This record gives sequence, C-alpha cells and structure tokens, in this order.
Amino acid sequence: MNNLAKFIVGIFLTLGIAWLAFVVGARSQYGDLSPTASVLEDDGTVAEDAELFPIALSGIAQQGAKEYASLGCVTCHTQQVRRVETGFDVERGWGLRPSVPRDYVLQKHVLLGNSRIGPDLANLGLRDYSDEWLHQHIFEPQSLVPSSLCPPSPFLYTEVGEESESLVTITNEEDASDRYIKPTIRADRLVAYLQSLKQDYELPEISFLKSEEEDEVEAVVSVADKSTDAPKWLQDQIDQGKEVYMKAATGGGMCFTCHQVNGEGLVGQFPPLAGSDWVLGSKDRLIKISMYGLMGEIEVNGVKYNNVMAPPGIPPGSLTDEQIANVLTYIRNDWGNSASAVSPEEVATVRASLKGRAPMQMFTAAELSSPVQ
Amino acid sequence: MSTDSPDKIIDRSAKLVFSFFISSAGLWLLVAALFAYLAAAKLTDPFFLSTYEFLTYGKIKVSQANAFVYGWGGNAIFAVSIWILARLSQAEVRGSIFLIFAGVIWNLAITFGLLGILDGHMSGHEMLEMPTEVWPAMLISYLIITFLILVIHRSRQIRETIAPQWFILAAILWFPALFLIAWNGMELNPARGTVQTVLSMWYGQSLIWLWLTPVALGAAYYLIPAILGRTIDKYYLAIFGFWCIAALAPWSVVHHLEGGPVPMWIPAIGTVMSIAMVFPIAVASTNFHATAFMDIGKVWDSLPLRFVIFGTLSYTVSSYIGVVFSLPTVAKITQFTIINEFHFNQRVYGFFSMIIFGAVYFALPRITNREIPKGAKSFHFWTSTFGVLLLLLAYLIGGLTHGVLAGQPSLPWSSSVIQSIQPYFLITKFAFVILAFSQLVFVVNVWRVIFPNPISFIESCKKEAGA
Repeated sequence: MNNLAKFIVGIFLTLGIAWLAFVVGARSQYGDLSPTASVLEDDGTVAEDAELFPIALSGIAQQGAKEYASLGCVTCHTQQVRRVETGFDVERGWGLRPSVPRDYVLQKHVLLGNSRIGPDLANLGLRDYSDEWLHQHIFEPQSLVPSSLCPPSPFLYTEVGEESESLVTITNEEDASDRYIKPTIRADRLVAYLQSLKQDYELPEISFLKSEEEDEVEAVVSVADKSTDAPKWLQDQIDQGKEVYMKAATGGGMCFTCHQVNGEGLVGQFPPLAGSDWVLGSKDRLIKISMYGLMGEIEVNGVKYNNVMAPPGIPPGSLTDEQIANVLTYIRNDWGNSASAVSPEEVATVRASLKGRAPMQMFTAAELSSPVQ
Repeated sequence: MSTDSPDKIIDRSAKLVFSFFISSAGLWLLVAALFAYLAAAKLTDPFFLSTYEFLTYGKIKVSQANAFVYGWGGNAIFAVSIWILARLSQAEVRGSIFLIFAGVIWNLAITFGLLGILDGHMSGHEMLEMPTEVWPAMLISYLIITFLILVIHRSRQIRETIAPQWFILAAILWFPALFLIAWNGMELNPARGTVQTVLSMWYGQSLIWLWLTPVALGAAYYLIPAILGRTIDKYYLAIFGFWCIAALAPWSVVHHLEGGPVPMWIPAIGTVMSIAMVFPIAVASTNFHATAFMDIGKVWDSLPLRFVIFGTLSYTVSSYIGVVFSLPTVAKITQFTIINEFHFNQRVYGFFSMIIFGAVYFALPRITNREIPKGAKSFHFWTSTFGVLLLLLAYLIGGLTHGVLAGQPSLPWSSSVIQSIQPYFLITKFAFVILAFSQLVFVVNVWRVIFPNPISFIESCKKEAGA
C-alpha cells in the first residue's frame, strides 16, 4: 500500500477485471448480433427469401429517436419488456414476448431506460393509437388521460385559427371551446418514431408468449386486418398488398413511412391515401406512380402538396408487377376505401406502354393528367 | 507565533484552492437544488412552466443529477481530497494556479454541458447526458487536477499510508479510467445494441460507488479520529474493507439490469456481488461506529462530526437496503420504480454530501482562521437531516407502493398506479424546498468565512503568498 505504483496497478486491476467481463465480455458475446429470420432452416442458416428482423427504422423515425433522447423521455419511460419471471410486463400487455438483445442491434442509441413513471414503450406501435391521438397526447397528455403526469409539449406544435389547417382539434370539456393544433416537423418525427416501436416478430431465440391476455392482444391486432365480406382472391391480394405497404426491407414498398399506417399521410407534407381522389381514381396513373415515382405540385382532395415521392421499393423502382397490383389493390380497399382491384396484367400493360422511359424518371402531375398516354 | 506550525503552513498553502473549489461546489449545490425543486414541482403539476421547452421535465431531471454529481460532487471532491491529502502527506499544496485553472475549465465544461442538455443535445445515457463536445475539457481538466494531487501525495513526509489516503487516491484515479472506458464504448468505438446499456449502467452506478463513495469514506476515516483524538477501532480491518470495495463494487452495480434484454449472467453476477458487498459495508460501519460510539457525547458536541456520523450511518443503512433490494424477489417489485430516486438521494445526499458538509465545517475554520457561527451550522444540520429523511421516506414508501401496484396488471397505469404515488411527489417537493433552504444556509456559511469582504480576501491571499 505504500508503493504508489503498486497501489495504482492494484486498483486498476480490480476495475479492469470487471471491465473485461462486462464490457469486453458482453461485446464479444453478443456485440455483433445481426437481424435474422423468425425461423431458421434446419441447418441453422437463414433462408434466402426470408424476412429479416428487426427491421431498420425509417429515416423519419430515426430522426424521431433523436427528439425522444433530446427531450429526456427516457427519464420516465423504459423500452424493455422483462422476462416473465422477473416482471409483470407481458401480463400488463406491454409486449407479446420479452425483449431480447437482438431487438436493439439496429438502433444507434439504445434507450432502455430504468424508470417507469410512464408506461413501457417497447411496443407502443402495436397499441393501435392513431397519429392524431399521439399528437394530442404529446401536445397535452391531460386532455386525453386526465391523471397523466407526462409534461405537455406545446412547443412542438403551432396553434392555428381554423380547423381546416390543423391536424387535431382539442375540445375543452368545461366550456366546449375548440383548439386547433398543427404538428411541427419535430412532432411528426417523434410520432413516426413512437409508431415504429414494436417487437411484433418472433426470433429463433424467443417466441410469443401464449396466455389469455396474449390471445386477446393478438386478436385485436388481427381484427383490424380483416375486412369480412371480400372474396378470397381479393382478400389475399389485399393481405399481400398490405405487407408490401408496411415492409421497410427488400421487397417492400415502405409506403407507410410517409403515407402512414392509417393512410392519412401527414398534413402539408404527404398526401392522404384514405379517401383520396387519386387513389380511388384512374388505375393507370397509380400504376405509373408506383413504377416511376412522382414529383412536383399535385392537388389531392383540393389540397396542394409539393414533395418528391421516390419510386417505391428497395431498391427504388424494383417492385414487381404483382407487388404493384397487390399494394394498389390494398390502398384502394383499406381505411374505408373501396374500389376495383388492380391485376398484374394491367400493370404489365402499362409497363409495356412505358418501354423506353429512363428508370427513375419521376412523373409530374401535369404529365399524368395530359391526354397523351 | 503559532502560525508557524506545519499544519498551519499546509492550511495556508491550500487556502486559495480549497476556497475556490468549495465556493464553486456551493454554487452548483444551489443550481442542483433549484433543478430538484423544478423537477419535483413538475411532477405534482405537469402544467408548471410547461410552455418552455428547455424546462421540460426530462431535461430538468437530468440536469439536476449532472449538476449534483459533477458540479457539487466534483468540486467538493477536489477541495476535500486536496486538503486531506496535503494534511496527511504533511506537504504543501503546489501549483495552485494550475489547480484553479483546471477547476475553471471543469466548471465551464459542466456549465456548457448543462446548457447543452437544456438546449436539446442530450444523449440519454445515464450520467453521460452532457454533449460529447464537453467531454475532452472535463477529462483534461480532471487529469491536471489528478496530476497535482499525485504530486502532493508523492512529496509526503511519511512513507506509510493510511486508510483515508487509499480511499481518496483510488477514487481520484478511478474516475478518469471509468470516464475513458465510457467514452471509448459510447463514442470512439461505439458498442452495438444493449451492450451500450450495460456500459452506461456500469458507468453511471460505478461513478457513485467508485468516485463519490470512496472519497466520503476516506474523509470519514480521516475526520473521526482527528476530531475524537482516538485511533480507529479495529483499524486492521480497513485494508480488507478497501480491497473488498475495489474488487466487488465494479461487479455489483449491474444488478439493475435484471430481467432486461441482456445476457442473464450479467445481472446474475451483479446480484451475487451485491450480496457480497455486506463485507465491506460491515467493515466500514464497524470502524466508524465502534470508534464514534466510544465517545458519543463528543460526537454530538462537534457539529462537523455530527454530520460525518450521520453520513456513515446513512451509508450503512442505505447499503444494506441496497443489498436487500438487489435480491431478485425484491427487485421484481422495486425495479423501475421511484426507489431508484431513494437510492440516488440516499447515497449522494444522505451519505456523500453530509460527510462533505462535515469535512468543510472542520477544514474551513482552520484554513481561514474564522469560525462559522454554531447556530448557523446547527440550523444547517437540522434542516438537512429533516429534509433528507423526509425525502428518503417519501421515495421509499412511494417506491414500494409504486412497485406493488405496478405488479397488478389489472390496475390501469396512470389513473391508478401513478395516481396513488402522487401524494409522495408532493412530499418530495416539500422536502426539496427544505433542502434548498438548508443548502442556501450552507453556502452562506461557507461564503461568509471565505469572503467576509472580497477585497480583504484578495489582500490576505497576496500577503500569505508573499510570507
């Protein structure tokens, strides 16, 4: 103890051993986990066409993660579903299964949190909240959950004078007066991030827990998928189209990242698909947009938008005739839309008519509405 | 003249540095108190100041912890460590100008770090929330101070070292190692997935166990015998206690990850090591309390010692409670509840800060040759004691309620679970007001003896530097 050098070696050794175990050890044990398929082949490999989980966050959701960190949401919200023997999380309906390390490998900053004054958010995106609900909750949680302690964030919104410009209307119960709020881009990012929080896939190391509550949760999730009176072939096409719509990996369209899960788009930025005169109108235009994308000003249901829609698919413009037919059929038949299905043959015809058009050459609204073609 | 005694010469050499660090520590304490009040007030009324983005709850809460640990804790550690090591080494403090220069950088770095948090550049990792831009400044200024502390220790007159020196030196040296490890794993060479969480949890908890705790223990090992004028009872155990903390504490801190998405062996080892921590806790509490209770009347009469013994008792109790709460059956209930706040405040306020208060009240009159009025110290002691006990009780009972109710899935979250612990938030708000008041008294006490008159203070420093 009297020799300073020996003393220093001693205290760093004790620290170093723990560091080796927890940091170096943990890193080499599972630091290089990567996305994998829900079910592995018999020989332990991933099938070539298998969908890999977890999926990467969309760009807007990644930006939302930064907002989440910067506002300190992690001080009150965890993002981890504990194992059954160590907690009540699954019973509370906070997840279909416990969280595992692989769920977090694609996140730049992992915000597990260790305090729950608010509920766990690991599966918020599975709880069927609409974007409007989340926006209103972020703006003023107490207007939806009176007992909430969550701090209101009015600084992420602008209050507008008229209902038509706003996304959410908040009615004051006492005097029945209305307030109209419009999200800023930061609020949109945050909501996109929150909606993306879901561990709704199985991995080789973990499967869904089957309990009574679980079945109910799954039932709720799947009820939303089924419209009852469609014939089988149409329903199949809608189901497969929905997959393309929601998928943000190879073979998917990533449509939901802009047009949202509920097809409502985002005010002022991305036009809605639900009830849209474009979606319910000419198939020809929709097929062209699905192949080549769209840019410049367009008017949807009387509202003007000016943005760029890259050709859908990963890589862009890679959707097959069948995928395009399915996803268009889906958007024409969900969220209250009802219009005729699109068949792969129709897509093939349009594709043939556009032979010679440079790939990635986006359409403009003017070009689409001109009588030529 | 009696001022020629070696202790006096050492005290004079430490005067400027000690005054600088402890007065900045005091200011940080007030900043933290303000944040603590704001955070508590926001939990009782979510609409309180809610229109200002920089005052949103998440930012305030994090700023409070950072101001408290790095601002108050860091500066207080520098002041107390330098003075105690100089006294024990019988060596003068040299390079005051560099110490103060480094201290200014440290304080500026934390100031900008907190402004960064409030401005929205928070990382979200425990105790690493300050923007990475300020990390180099923190590390460099800290290393300058470490170097000069080692210089004091190296020039010691007596080769034999004793317990206070081990604890304080180890703490001083552990911090930069922890900080570098965290920096490497978060920024330079970022870990993927939940390895990040393991690292940040390990860092955040180790900061308390390997930085704040050993300094406070070292100060207690110094102050108790110095004030009572008797040797530590069963002193031969101290070395065992020291190496137990060094070997076990860095392992025990990860038990908070129980049940989470990390390999099961990590929290399991943490739990086992937490239970093993009863040995070093027992050693320290035997050493301190067996010595103190031989002369309990004197402990009561000396205010500095009263603070120190409150701190050591708090250490013993909180550490044993920590062991119990790390048991998996209990952790299942208390994990993720406001019991976390209980642990943090117990350790950082009830233990660390109380001992530092005692050390400052012991050192300041010797360094400045001015007495602090007994009534003012006593007022500080009672308000602190009452405030901290009220705070801890609220968090403890509130946390247990939180955990038990949260464990019943049929109870809705906000309207039932959180609603039931809201009264406890009201109590903590009240406790933070008392504590803020108490801390204000401490800062006034300190500033009054350091700067009775700012001009004469500078004059006296000049004169003493010349002498």
